[in-house]
Amino acid sequence: MIVIAVVIIVSCSDVQRKPSRVYMPDMAYSRAYETYSVTEEVKDSLKKHGINFSNLPVPGTIKRGEMFPFALLKDKDGDSTNYVASKQIPNPIASLDSVQSVESERLYLVNCGICHGPKLDGNGPLYKGGEGPFPAKPATLVGDAKYEAMPAGQMFYSVTYGKNKMGSYASQLDTRQRWMVIHYIKSKQMAGKAGSSNSADSTAKK
Amino acid sequence: MHAATGDFSTFMPQIVTMYYRLIAKRIYLSFFLVALITLSNKLSAQDGKALFQSNCASCHSVFKQVTGPALRGVTGRVPDNKLLHAWIHNNATVLASGNKYFTDLFNQFSKTPMNTFPNLSDADIDAILKYIETTPPPSTTPTDGGGPGGKEPDNSFLYGILTIILAVIMLTMLQVNSNLKKLSDDKEGVPSQEPIPFYRNKAYITFVILILFVIGGYYLVQGAIGLGRNKDYQPEQPIFYSHKVHAGTNQISCLYCHGNALQSKHATVPALNVCMNCHAAINEYTGKEKLYRENGEEVNGTAEIQKLYSYTGYDPKAGKYTEPGKPVEWTKIHNLPDHVFFSHAQHTNAGKVQCQTCHGPIQEMNEVKQFADLSMGWCINCHRTTKVNFPDSLGNDGNKFYSIYEKFHKDIKAGDSITVEKIGGTECQKCHY
Repeated sequence: MIVIAVVIIVSCSDVQRKPSRVYMPDMAYSRAYETYSVTEEVKDSLKKHGINFSNLPVPGTIKRGEMFPFALLKDKDGDSTNYVASKQIPNPIASLDSVQSVESERLYLVNCGICHGPKLDGNGPLYKGGEGPFPAKPATLVGDAKYEAMPAGQMFYSVTYGKNKMGSYASQLDTRQRWMVIHYIKSKQMAGKAGSSNSADSTAKK
Repeated sequence: MHAATGDFSTFMPQIVTMYYRLIAKRIYLSFFLVALITLSNKLSAQDGKALFQSNCASCHSVFKQVTGPALRGVTGRVPDNKLLHAWIHNNATVLASGNKYFTDLFNQFSKTPMNTFPNLSDADIDAILKYIETTPPPSTTPTDGGGPGGKEPDNSFLYGILTIILAVIMLTMLQVNSNLKKLSDDKEGVPSQEPIPFYRNKAYITFVILILFVIGGYYLVQGAIGLGRNKDYQPEQPIFYSHKVHAGTNQISCLYCHGNALQSKHATVPALNVCMNCHAAINEYTGKEKLYRENGEEVNGTAEIQKLYSYTGYDPKAGKYTEPGKPVEWTKIHNLPDHVFFSHAQHTNAGKVQCQTCHGPIQEMNEVKQFADLSMGWCINCHRTTKVNFPDSLGNDGNKFYSIYEKFHKDIKAGDSITVEKIGGTECQKCHY
């Protein structure tokens, strides 16, 4: 009997792959459709009952408090008309107050710093000077004349639709957040330029 | 060396000394030359790396296809060095001349034009090409990261066995004791009863029943409390996504993928395009540590990334989405019953609670397991002990929602009577909900 007990105890894995039992789960499972609970199959079965369910916002609508969306569409493969045209679009956010600039830095560090580096030197933890897993070198945002000269609108195009191996960030950052991040990058570039040419105040150049 | 030739000169003729001096000089010179050559070699190779990283690396990798093709072996594919230089200087002119190899390549990469580099000198380009052809491939042999388990052995099992052994010894001793007593009684002529075997001894039976009752009761109560609770729940997910690799080793912020944690009730599982932000380029697992499932089974990281491509319909060779994507059906781990309202935004934004407070050391988990039991007692305990972060005396930072109560407090101090009704005490929902 002891042997059986020992075998039972040893053979029990401590990895719990199944959820535990429930007893009389009153009001435990949602009757309403929770996030991610509506699959294509659920939608189809609803449609049979004449219910058109969509968990996506209606195309063309703008959520409350959101900025007006970017006017240019994504270029087709091998075309760069809109990418070039985006140079003309200015940043609608002229200046950030202290709370917003802290927020823009936070957004940069969370979403961009991982590749472009916390110091904007194109050497984030994913690239690590070629040692990291990401094979392409991220753009050096401060210290490379090409990106320092790049207009804000073109940066916004790249952040919105992706460029080369960078993906689109439109699903992670809304329009206002994307412009805030670009404002942050531009202000860092200004500071970097002022710092390298002469150590006078950085705002004078703008 | 001079000292050596000097020693010789003491017992050798003058000419021989001169001869040795000459040799020594030559050796010096040749050493110097060799050093110079190797140094200059190193310089140009280093230059090549720096030039490659600043000019080419944003679109090309030496060993992997990124935005442009992998460059190792390019001098073999384009044997004409002049043509290659012309292509790098200004690819548009080469394309205009109708070169077949480059036109095909251009079409293969969906007509993405390469940048022009008129400023690179021929020497620079040669240095870059040399770097491309000579740099060693990155080592991809993963080391064993301390084995699959790496856990401390659980001692409670050992203690259990020890207890059982001790209990058996104790029983035997008691039995021996009673036998001895009977023997001595017999010897002294004291009449005694036949000893009762231990399984019919009432004291033993009571003792065993009591122990079984306590143990059984403990497990019954534990089991009843555990109904519907899922601490340590660790389901197998459709893709082996390691939080340890992403959030631990590669230091990706939690909010990169779970960005809604600050704004919404749900922290949200990211859409697949967020995965593809990096995995459009990272198509193999090259981490230093081997990956294991909880049961010790080894995981092939590259195969798991391939699974992601099968869900997104991405063809990593062509670098394009060739098939329609379908969502990954992840298994939700942290579930709260519907009669509980929980908002991530409230806790992360107003409460400034860190992810790890409730989810545990997520950056060390290869497979996510539920860290807290998410019971009501667990919630309440935290709410009882966590201090509210009120604004400082200047009114900066912190939770400003309760500044209204501060006003009430001041009003009461000033002698104003604030009744319960005035702070919403007679709203219907205070009592009827």
